[in-house]
Amino acid sequence: MGIACVAFIGPQNNPLYLRSMDPASDEQYLKLHYVVHCALDAVEEKVLLKRGPGDAQDAYLGLLYPTEDFKVYGYLTNTHLKILLLLDDEGPAKDEVVMRVFRRLHSLYVDTASNPFHVFGLPISSARFDVQLEQIVAVYPKPGASLGGFLT
Amino acid sequence: MAGLVPAPSPGVVAKKPARRCAEVCLELLCVESVRIFHEKQSGPAAAAALEAVGFRVGQQLAERYTRDKPRLGDTLEIIKFVCKDFWQALFKKQVDNLKTNHRGVYVLQDNGFRWLQRLSPPSAPASATAAAGAPASSAGSLPPGAGAVDPAREEAVRQLALSHLHLPCGIVRGALCHLGVSCSVEADPKQLPSCTFTVRIMA
Repeated sequence: MGIACVAFIGPQNNPLYLRSMDPASDEQYLKLHYVVHCALDAVEEKVLLKRGPGDAQDAYLGLLYPTEDFKVYGYLTNTHLKILLLLDDEGPAKDEVVMRVFRRLHSLYVDTASNPFHVFGLPISSARFDVQLEQIVAVYPKPGASLGGFLT
Repeated sequence: MAGLVPAPSPGVVAKKPARRCAEVCLELLCVESVRIFHEKQSGPAAAAALEAVGFRVGQQLAERYTRDKPRLGDTLEIIKFVCKDFWQALFKKQVDNLKTNHRGVYVLQDNGFRWLQRLSPPSAPASATAAAGAPASSAGSLPPGAGAVDPAREEAVRQLALSHLHLPCGIVRGALCHLGVSCSVEADPKQLPSCTFTVRIMA
């Protein structure tokens, strides 16, 4: 399981941040934007479904839908921020592991949003955010690596 | 900070050696921010500016305090979150009373609003130095010898308290709007230090 792409989408479905972990060309970014955009519908469906009785209302939405190249996982915060992870189709991904990544990304976002110069609604343009995001994502083995040794 | 005599307040006792800040710093910051804004701009503009600052702070605090909470469903749950967890984190206590008319108006009552605790109206024997604890800000300096005219003095005290409530109103409005509840927030200092906040949901 490797993380191919991370996306943050704001409350009005405006993209705040989209980053591909593989060095990508412009075409690739277009494709990623498309996949993320389609995933937003799946997010809303999932939220509506979860409103059934007795369902734990949680931020983690789980696997939204698989495409031919990626599996899309979603996370919806209380402030209606959506975090989407596109994982490579390499072997099973454990929910706890993915949840952990989402939590760290959420904490990173909260810390970045607490910057007095941060403007809500505009794309995130913090160098520190980029660096720390890379560190969070880098914990997960690239496709083909062995399974052991996840850091918490 | 002319004329301000801060009541002796214990700083927060650090339980661990890391990163704590004495609460008096926040209190002094709030008082001074009100004074500076009213100095630079006149009445309503200063109020709007303070409210805007509070709005942004409220958005950021809402992000932080809802981080590990389960999903907040409808408007009532969000208001209850503000009354309990948010108020607890910000003002070290919960809202004492919540009333609603079920038609989009909520009244939050706090019987000991923390940011008004240090404001006290000047005592009756009105001498120039009697303003113990009440900052003689440019918004509301009370004439000495006003002891006889109670309604006028009360109105002046009320105006003074209101000028200190723009910031918290902004914070509450920012938090609610960021959580998806578009609203307006007004404060009413009835009896210092108790205060009510009226939240009107905008349809």
